[in-house]
Amino acid sequence: MSLNVIHNATCTFCGCVCDDIELHSDETRIHEAKKACVLGKAWFLNHTADHDYPDALIDGREATVDEAIEAAATFLHDAHMPLIYGLSNTTCEAQREAVSLADRLGGLLDSHTSL
Amino acid sequence: MTCTLGEVKNRADFIVYWGGNPAECHPRHFTKYTLMQKSKFLPRGRKDRTMILVDIRETKSGGAADIFLQIRPGKDFEVLTILRAILKGQHVNSSIVAETGLTLEQMTDFIDRAKKARFGCMFFGMGLSMTRGKHMNSAALLTLAAELNAFTKFVAMPMRGHGNVTGADVIMRWQTGFPFGITFNRGYPRYNPGEFSTVDVLVRGDTDAALILGADPGATMPQPAIDHLARIPTIVLDPKVTHTSRLARVHITTSVAGISAPGTAYRMDEIPLPLKPALKSPYPTDEEVVRRINEAVARKPHWMPADGPMTIMQH
Ligand code: SF4
Repeated sequence: MSLNVIHNATCTFCGCVCDDIELHSDETRIHEAKKACVLGKAWFLNHTADHDYPDALIDGREATVDEAIEAAATFLHDAHMPLIYGLSNTTCEAQREAVSLADRLGGLLDSHTSL
Repeated sequence: MTCTLGEVKNRADFIVYWGGNPAECHPRHFTKYTLMQKSKFLPRGRKDRTMILVDIRETKSGGAADIFLQIRPGKDFEVLTILRAILKGQHVNSSIVAETGLTLEQMTDFIDRAKKARFGCMFFGMGLSMTRGKHMNSAALLTLAAELNAFTKFVAMPMRGHGNVTGADVIMRWQTGFPFGITFNRGYPRYNPGEFSTVDVLVRGDTDAALILGADPGATMPQPAIDHLARIPTIVLDPKVTHTSRLARVHITTSVAGISAPGTAYRMDEIPLPLKPALKSPYPTDEEVVRRINEAVARKPHWMPADGPMTIMQH
């Protein structure tokens, strides 16, 4: 089977964010990440498109994403001082949504930078 | 004063790495951006550049340096202050120099080279900004870079760590005016690291619910902070079931930015780059899940009374 090739893909493993990576992939995994360094190679090759983890967990039990989203919204809404934290290993688009959520909740918002 | 890595690549003939180990933490920094590239202004590439590494111990990055300055742990601020004094032509007390682990000759040589450079750049890592002195160290280094501009073009740039942490700064600045350590608890953003930064908030037990995404504090934060996350309802979005997921009430698996989720990420010099995911994930993106949580919260009554924050103040 021929592999799907992506030119100038972007590696987000470290702050260099190299955008010249050549990825060779099939349906489920990336087989080659040309130009990436050892860390970047490991990052690309270690992820698969398999369903390795449950969609969602509530109190350790498997749940649907819909149920988990509703539970999350209830916990955050019920809290007096909810916190949104992290935001490093994600996209700017998700970060923007997170700011909007913190704003709506009247909560705290913080990233790795504060460590 | 900072610049893009493209400018460093094309112009910087004097490069300092302070308190970082790029050879192992940012493996392509030297080859792609700073040392090895040839350019119109530096036609001989590496030969046209000088690199000084400043650290408390020798690391793999030492092999790439022209000069390695090993300073005593916790003496960054002193070294930077002495360098600034030398730059200004002030007298430096030899007993203070002796404490730093360097000699006056080494530091004078540093300043001579920096002044002679056509374009200097100092990269600083967590070895500077996370040790004794913390942000005062970063401030001292930035001041030195600013003062060197009396002689030549000089800039400084933090070596940002994992993934899109630079993007988090940029997005929060854009949306709220502040980069991190923010609260909206009066209905508008306020900024106060130490008060609103997460470790402090958790250790004091000030928060009663947490949403964690793009991070695994359960593996990295001090134990009292982790203990508090386990006490309160914590919600985790992550491509894997992490340490934090195990102590959380809710975990939602999401796709991986840049591998199976599309979007944008910022390079450490604040250049946004598009992601080109190669795989299709069976899981939703962080973006989608956070948006849907936001929509679900929006269907509930708003926490602030309709007549606004003034009512809160009067209680
Ligand atoms: S390829 Fe290596 S240097 Fe480039 S972003 Fe990925 S981990 Fe960093």
